[in-house]
Amino acid sequence: MFKGIMEWVDERLPVTELIKSQATEYPTPKNLNYWWNFGSLALFVLIIQLVTGIFLAMHYKPDAALAFDSVEHIMRDVNWGWLLRYLHANGATAFFVMIYIHILRGMYYGSHRKPREILWWFGVIIFFALMGTAFMGYVLPWGQMSYWGAAVITNLVSALPVVGQDLVVWVWGGFAVGDPTLNRFFALHFLLPFVVFGLVILHMWALHAVHSNNPDGIDLEEKDTIPFHPYFTIKDLYGVGVFLIVFCAFVFYNPNFFLEPDNYIQADPMKTPAHIVPEWYFLPFYAVLRSIDFLGTMSKLVGVIAMGAAIAILFILPFLDRSPVRSFRYRPISRALFWIFVVDCFVLGWVGYNPADATVFGGMPIIYVGRTATAIYFSYFALLWLVTALKVEKPQPVPKSL
Amino acid sequence: MDFMNTVKAALVTAALVLPVLPQTGLASSGGPPLPQEDWSFKGIFGQFDQAALKRGAKVTIEVCLGCHSIKYIKFDHLRQFGFTEAEVSEMAGGAGLTKQDKLVSGLAPADAKESFGLVPPDLSLMTKARKGYEDYTFAILTGYLTEEDTALVDAAKEDGTLSPEEITKLASALHMDPHHPEKIDEAVKRIANGDHFNKYFPGNFLAMPAPLSAGAVTYADGTEATVKQLAKDVTTFLAWAAEPTQTERKSTGHKVILYLIVLTAMLYAVKRRIWARVHH
Repeated sequence: MFKGIMEWVDERLPVTELIKSQATEYPTPKNLNYWWNFGSLALFVLIIQLVTGIFLAMHYKPDAALAFDSVEHIMRDVNWGWLLRYLHANGATAFFVMIYIHILRGMYYGSHRKPREILWWFGVIIFFALMGTAFMGYVLPWGQMSYWGAAVITNLVSALPVVGQDLVVWVWGGFAVGDPTLNRFFALHFLLPFVVFGLVILHMWALHAVHSNNPDGIDLEEKDTIPFHPYFTIKDLYGVGVFLIVFCAFVFYNPNFFLEPDNYIQADPMKTPAHIVPEWYFLPFYAVLRSIDFLGTMSKLVGVIAMGAAIAILFILPFLDRSPVRSFRYRPISRALFWIFVVDCFVLGWVGYNPADATVFGGMPIIYVGRTATAIYFSYFALLWLVTALKVEKPQPVPKSL
Repeated sequence: MDFMNTVKAALVTAALVLPVLPQTGLASSGGPPLPQEDWSFKGIFGQFDQAALKRGAKVTIEVCLGCHSIKYIKFDHLRQFGFTEAEVSEMAGGAGLTKQDKLVSGLAPADAKESFGLVPPDLSLMTKARKGYEDYTFAILTGYLTEEDTALVDAAKEDGTLSPEEITKLASALHMDPHHPEKIDEAVKRIANGDHFNKYFPGNFLAMPAPLSAGAVTYADGTEATVKQLAKDVTTFLAWAAEPTQTERKSTGHKVILYLIVLTAMLYAVKRRIWARVHH
């Protein structure tokens, strides 16, 4: 019966063929390690966010006078509303943990290198889209940090020469962040996840065109690949299980761990919080923005450009790396640079979390740490190019096959 | 790959430890260290102490509600922790309201502004909306000058100037920095002026006079109504009011996590079995 129906469908649309070639029998490197789980985990979190988000939207009111109360209505009166909201709020955090690891894995094993540049570019575009989605989502509860975070970040638009002042008014829909801003952010926050979903399909199309990289970074022969099913279906499912244990521990036992207490105070345009901090996943880039403070009236504009460049530089990463070897497993200098880069990202995050005028280590302004860490951040890309283009790095011998 | 293993170990440790860490771990108020109380509802197995909730509700309605509202809670909600319908109606009646009403203060915002210079904040989310959470709420409620503190301040202001010895004593009693005697001096002057000093409020002076005094209410269960007891009960009640679903959240969590651990263990076993066929 089922076979008959599938034959009928396949004559008209080759579904079985697609599932076979792109899923069950899709050839996958047999040496992938657990760092390769984070792509499917990111997709899993995207689905969590879409499902919980749609149910939240059924109860949420995108109105400056009603938004805050409607979130508490969800927390208190909607059946399982507290679970929906905590899943969604912690889901944003989980999403960034997954994609940060996913991106760093790609950087370490050279997954952006030829012929995977377009695959990588779709990834960077997804990253940009996610940051926009997360930023606008954080505004929706209309707490103090929502409001003032939105004010600080949208204000950056005004740094653009000539059109900046008019543009920021257009973005706000008024002369300050207010009800029109909230309303449009809700519309865009609803739209963007579907754009992300479309980009993920392009990302996976590009992946299936060139196939997965692997920890050795070598081109594999057919004998070194195994079918995706059952090997990676079960491995990814096991990864989902481990992820869910950690994720649910936060959701059920410490759901406000990543939230600022100030966001449980309703937005008040007349009262600026003592210390405005973005969500943790923006902190390194926020630190880059603030560390450019020595250019007088140009500081703000250059800061914004530096912040954008900190992510956009990933677009040219495939061409900066000139080494004949993809994986850092066989590249000692690149590997050392990579770990300095990772530590530097944490330092930038810590600087971003602190007030701009804070002092550390007994009186040193934290801005010095921020500037140094920003310089190190960009130096990673310059040095990676230098040590590979000038052949300073001698890669260790790479296996021909597994 | 040793370094990778270290990174893996660090990630796994963080993932396991962070969720069960008390929230105060990362959120200090930046002021003097807050007094640490044992809260019945803290920790993954914590449950609200029902007797404390009933006492706290009584204090909140008889004292706090004079100025503050708790707008997300109705009197009827208080039945969730053991009050009867008759008791709830009686408490509402005492405030001139009915059991279907929200806990809204009788003090009109405009009048509050005239008396205190600002509208007292709604307390529904107070224990979630400040760094330090419930410890901060408790600290504010107990952070006003005690009789001994007041005596110390009175003695200090009598001769007009503060001796180094007085500064040390005051700094310790008021939880202020002894290296800034001018601030202590200013605080003493403002206290003499009738301003409300609190050891834990950022900037030390706030619009709210000390809200709790010993014996402010008579507890039905015979508990002695010291300031500390009142503060602790009010804080417990406000923590419940901030998230009445907290108990449900944790008990659901136990079942979910237990299920996931069993499921994941089975997935791991299946994964090992399937991958045994692959030769590296």
